[in-house]
Amino acid sequence: MILLKGATLFDGEKLHDDPRDILISDGRIREIGKIQETEDIETIDLRGKIACPGFIDIHVHFREPGFEWREDITTGARSAAAGGYSTVVTMPNTEPPVDNPSMVEFALWKGQRSCAARVLPAGCVTHGRAGKFMAELGKMADAGAVFFTDDGSPIATSGLVRTALLYSIDTGVRIMEHPEETSLTEGGQVNEGLASSVSGLKGMPASGEYIDIARGIALCRETSAPIHFTHVSTAMAMEAIQKAKLEGLPVTCDVTAHHLSLDENHILVSRFDSTYKVNPPLRSRSDVSSLWQAIANGTVDAIITDHAPWHLDEKDVPFQEAPFGIASLECSVAVVLDTWLKLGRPVSLESLLKLFTSSPASLLPEQWQGLGRIKEDSIADITILDLDESRIVDTGNWESKAANCPWNGEMLSGWPVATFLNGIPFKREEN
Amino acid sequence: MKWRHHGLIDLDDWTREELEIFLQQADYMEELLGRPIKKVPALRGKMIVNFFYEPSTRTKVSFELAEKMLSADVVNWSASGSSVSKGETMKDTAWTLEAMGADAVVIRHGAVGAADYLSKKLSRASVFNAGDGTHRHPTQALLDIHTAWKKLGGLEGRRMSIIGDILHSRVARSDIKAFSKMGVKVTVSGPATLMPRDIQSLGAEYEPDPHKAVKSADILYLLRIQKERQHQGLIPSFDEYHKRYGATSELVNEAGEKSVVMHPGPVNRRVEIASDVVDGEKSLILKQVRSGVAVRMALLYLCLGGVRS
Repeated sequence: MILLKGATLFDGEKLHDDPRDILISDGRIREIGKIQETEDIETIDLRGKIACPGFIDIHVHFREPGFEWREDITTGARSAAAGGYSTVVTMPNTEPPVDNPSMVEFALWKGQRSCAARVLPAGCVTHGRAGKFMAELGKMADAGAVFFTDDGSPIATSGLVRTALLYSIDTGVRIMEHPEETSLTEGGQVNEGLASSVSGLKGMPASGEYIDIARGIALCRETSAPIHFTHVSTAMAMEAIQKAKLEGLPVTCDVTAHHLSLDENHILVSRFDSTYKVNPPLRSRSDVSSLWQAIANGTVDAIITDHAPWHLDEKDVPFQEAPFGIASLECSVAVVLDTWLKLGRPVSLESLLKLFTSSPASLLPEQWQGLGRIKEDSIADITILDLDESRIVDTGNWESKAANCPWNGEMLSGWPVATFLNGIPFKREEN
Repeated sequence: MKWRHHGLIDLDDWTREELEIFLQQADYMEELLGRPIKKVPALRGKMIVNFFYEPSTRTKVSFELAEKMLSADVVNWSASGSSVSKGETMKDTAWTLEAMGADAVVIRHGAVGAADYLSKKLSRASVFNAGDGTHRHPTQALLDIHTAWKKLGGLEGRRMSIIGDILHSRVARSDIKAFSKMGVKVTVSGPATLMPRDIQSLGAEYEPDPHKAVKSADILYLLRIQKERQHQGLIPSFDEYHKRYGATSELVNEAGEKSVVMHPGPVNRRVEIASDVVDGEKSLILKQVRSGVAVRMALLYLCLGGVRS
């Protein structure tokens, strides 16, 4: 038995003012309230800290199988736990891609073996992620897939989006769309605007994101099937999603930690440091503030990392030749909290914490929706936050294999300090 | 004044005063080039590597000539037929060159930020950017301001119109900044499909109509239209381009009476510029080429020379 003593409780819905103790045994939360310490209970003093439901990141790339030199499911899961996440959803763009139930089972099995974080795989929408024929969504749902997405690419055609939306209703698993109209973004390297104008690099216009989302919303309206848009990065797209939500459509979305904290100026100021190269690209300053507004007005349903690990050799090349992606699982919570603190707490802490917990949990299939709550008898996935903790990001100490992290060497405030999966705290390897 | 730059990635951190000192130095070098014996021993014993990943004629040759006039030892390294074509990364190539003792590397590369990247990787050798993708071409800007400054007798308050493919042009990006710093008001013109989205961030105004753009311009600067742009569908045909945006003698005559015509070369006759304009009396195109050698001599001398005054 473990007793978490004296932490402020965020139960997934509400941040309680008074400290509440949490008693854990056999992977479950047994009791919440004022609990007396006894000798046979291991007590952890958490005064001044916040106990939250285990954080959930619904968008990570763990590169296994096919690209294990960048990351694998074990190092990815350990990296997640070290970063405060007890649950992650892995994207299916591996080699081979996760487009059948055996691949789903493989990812689940590797995740369980990591004993670090709950790894829930997303399956492809189309066979081979090739954008031609629908994959076996039903079988993958039965095997444990929690989203369907062709992430890395949008679903190839409007016809396929419509088919997949209709077919997915019955599976209880949501379609996640990577919103990109590729005829507008092909060859693009940076945001169209300041960064493209100054560098001459091909720009990716905001319309390239918006048009895909407008398509998805129209098809959602016709099919009534839920659709989730991932890594939304522009004001224009966010406005469309907000309108769709007001209309009552089952449309949801997430934003990344990097789009909430970095903008295209970082590329210019760093003199084309390839760690800032990411898709969707870092946008304008006003886009960044519009994402915070979207959090404030309830349009955003989750904050994600889009953790995209690369080997140093692959990223350490001139900007234009570098692949897209930022690795951030081990610092993204701090990145968001630090930005939130620096911006002067533009939204309530409660509404921010929901985006890491109950809100992403509600997008998962029914059996996992309880993950975002702390209540008696729920699974003891818990993340402990310390808003006063300041630390320098050091990728040299990461559990992840990757180091393509723009915050490396930066001092950030507000860190997760412990992560419990099924009641067991994550421990880093001593070295 | 002590010259504080040891290389050149872009001109952003050069002051106007430095540009003016530089222009005087380039003038002196140009005068040297007119002498029967042109070679001086300023960089004797310095090893300079010309590292050209992209094909280039005038930039490469003029750097090489400048290096030789100053008595540096010159090595030409191209991507094809070297370790680069065997898949060596730029980082490893850079470190190899430095280990061999190169004092300076002149780099031309198709990727934006390549010169920045190289300078971050090299600890000792100076880096000179001879063009990085669509981004910057600072020595072109230096030779352009030198040519125009000399011809017009100063640049303050002058007007310049750059016509063509601004979107993909490293020359335009470098020239707009350099000419603006010298007090020139820069207007750009050309089809909207070849304009950057945020042209004002570069410091220029956009006037879609070339006839309006050239009115009262002192400098008419034409950019090369690459064949690729037609394949990309950004312009319907070269002929249409020439008709609407090409520097014909009619268009040139609409500019100021004493105006000059410039082009970074190589020119596409009857696309962005008509033959009679290329060869006409307003054309400074060959003067630019000559200035290119002098300017690169001045640059290498100031940044690498033993004596800095």
